[in-house]
Amino acid sequence: MNDKHTQDKPNEAPHDSASEDKLAEIRQLIVGPERARLASLEERLDNPKLLARDISGILPEAVVLRSSQDKKFATALTPTLEEVIRSSIKRDPKTLVSALFPVMGPAIRKAITETLRGMLQSLNQALEKSLSVDGLKWRLEAMRTGKSFGEVVLLHNLAYRVEQVFLIHRETGLLLQHVVGAEIAFQDADMVSGMLTAIQDFIRDSFGVESENVIESIQIGEFTVWVTQGPELVLAAAIRGTAPEELKLVFQETLENIHLEQSRTLESFDGDTAPFEGSRHHIEACLQTRYKEKKQKTSPLLWVVLAVLLVSLGAWGFFSVRNHLLWADYLEKIAAQRGIVVTETGKRDGRYFIAGFRDPLAVDPSTLLGASKLDPEKVQSRWESYYSLHPEFVIARARNVLNPPETVSLELQDTVLHAAGSAPHRWIEEVRSLVHVIPGIAGFRDEDLVDTDMQTLAASKKWIEEHNLFFPEGAAGLVAGQDDTVRALAKEIRTLQDRARLLGKGFSVEIKGHTDRSGSEEYNLVLSRERADFVRSVLVAEGLGGISMKTVGAGHSEPLREEVTVQDRESNRRVSFNIILTDASPPEGDGP
Amino acid sequence: MIQKKICMVGAFAVGKTSLVTRFVKSIFSEKYLTTVGVKIDKKEVRLGDAEVTLVLWDIAGEDNLTQMRMSYLRGASGYLLVVDGTRPGTLETAITLQKKVDEFFGKEIPFVLLLNKRDLADIWGLADETVGALVERHWTVMETSAKTGQGVEEAFLALTRMIVGASGTAMSTGERHIGIVCDP
Repeated sequence: MNDKHTQDKPNEAPHDSASEDKLAEIRQLIVGPERARLASLEERLDNPKLLARDISGILPEAVVLRSSQDKKFATALTPTLEEVIRSSIKRDPKTLVSALFPVMGPAIRKAITETLRGMLQSLNQALEKSLSVDGLKWRLEAMRTGKSFGEVVLLHNLAYRVEQVFLIHRETGLLLQHVVGAEIAFQDADMVSGMLTAIQDFIRDSFGVESENVIESIQIGEFTVWVTQGPELVLAAAIRGTAPEELKLVFQETLENIHLEQSRTLESFDGDTAPFEGSRHHIEACLQTRYKEKKQKTSPLLWVVLAVLLVSLGAWGFFSVRNHLLWADYLEKIAAQRGIVVTETGKRDGRYFIAGFRDPLAVDPSTLLGASKLDPEKVQSRWESYYSLHPEFVIARARNVLNPPETVSLELQDTVLHAAGSAPHRWIEEVRSLVHVIPGIAGFRDEDLVDTDMQTLAASKKWIEEHNLFFPEGAAGLVAGQDDTVRALAKEIRTLQDRARLLGKGFSVEIKGHTDRSGSEEYNLVLSRERADFVRSVLVAEGLGGISMKTVGAGHSEPLREEVTVQDRESNRRVSFNIILTDASPPEGDGP
Repeated sequence: MIQKKICMVGAFAVGKTSLVTRFVKSIFSEKYLTTVGVKIDKKEVRLGDAEVTLVLWDIAGEDNLTQMRMSYLRGASGYLLVVDGTRPGTLETAITLQKKVDEFFGKEIPFVLLLNKRDLADIWGLADETVGALVERHWTVMETSAKTGQGVEEAFLALTRMIVGASGTAMSTGERHIGIVCDP
């Protein structure tokens, strides 16, 4: 526009240059200032630099004004800002990171602290009511240490926690920076730092360790101090719990970063710790905490306990069932026994008991118990004696009392005892008097019982009666050679006498003389009587004087054989014997 | 914040520990002295507007049997050399120690000589001329009593001034040269 105006002038010049000049002068005078202002305004509007300067003057106010009206400005700006941030990160992320770091660190920590505090509280509440063994133990610990219960619980669930970190100037031992985790009590860090350094010196001096080497860790129980050494700086971290080795790398890197950042400050360090405030975030990053992972799998101890429990339960069950079965079996066996009456069974104070009546002749229950595999200690027995009337027991009892010889068999029919076989006379007599006092026996029958003493008596009688003594023809003396027979007869008669006495019987011997048919009857009667008397005298001579002996002459009326031969006649010339038994004993000294 | 490591150096039983016990902040028991041979304490001193934290290394005293652990001196900015005014022998020890310290550092570092136990005037054993000789050597000498507190705060302050001045930190330099404090 300016150019336009200047070009106008030559175009008007041909008409009247002088007046034109004047006019221009007047115009200049009248509108000159306006023109200049106009030109300046145009300049300001057209020149971007000036325009920018102008807008910059009102931009903040404009932004404030617009922002107060609506949110369009923010909306319009958002994509640009996003783009700006993105390109800034792309170019150099560090710029933004370092800009944000001081804000982010505390923000994150604050958030974590808040969360932790909330967690502690909820844990407190949750555990306040729980009464587990651990709960009680931890509660005691909380009381003892003065910590809150939740904190104690948390400590026990803590894998590790870096509680404090000291950044120490290596040479002087002066503390440059110190960070402490939330809610952790700590001592004056300046002094602790000094003492840590002193202890390092002390150990180096005391044990002659090279000065380059340092203690890397100090451990007291669950508490560890890890010391990371740099050329100028020392980083000491107080850790509760078991920290992984990787953490050492973190400390190492931290220390390296600080060395790098503070190399200038460290060169001229004279005790001013203020510059190290800038490295605080590095150290704060070291305050790491890790909790124990919840164990998904059950502790092996629990399995062992469970297994033991199961085994003991099984064993208990097994033994209890086994005992029960054994007991039932035992009871069944006892009940099946004759002569045993069970009146009461049961279990008392962990022991079985059984009570009842038992015939002394019945099976001893203790032998059954022994055979039952039951622990005898576990069984209490009380047996009262009684007499069983079962035939088996009555017979057994009779046998016990009567002690019969083997030749006798006893049998009980109803309540009557029948004896059979053979037995000595005395035993039979005893039985007759005893049998009625045996419980269960009402009567005694012995028809089938042979008295052996009677038998031998009869045998003696028979033997004597079967023997004869022989005589020569017409004489009353014995045929020679019969002395043995005479002696045997005398002996047998004596035996018979003993047996008869035993049986309470009396007896007499009838000596009968015989002849053959030769001679007259009268003569033969006399001869036969003589022969009998002779034998009697012989027997008396043999010592049988005390025995009642009668002599009889039978003549030839009772021949032994029909007389056909000489031998027949010889046989008939004899004396025979007859034993006469009586129930009463014979009067002593019955003479001839 | 300015921190300085300073040491308490002196013969056995000259009262180093008593000096710090009454005037400093302490968390460690005296047991450390006999076991580790050093005890760390802290003392805050105001110098004008500046606050200086002195980390005090109270080093176990030297006697015929025990040598002082020189390594504890490392990094110290200055030290209080303590003498028992009632035992002239401890001054000898102090003089020897001062030499040893200088040798250890390879240069002279700021220190203040404290003639302690001034309260025991009756048995005071240091001759004026002996002390005077040290003053002539430009030693800073102060009389103190851990019992009455006489001169203790001043001693810490004096040493701090010397250290801060020597390290070149901007401080009012008017008090750079400490007056030699002697009882009349």
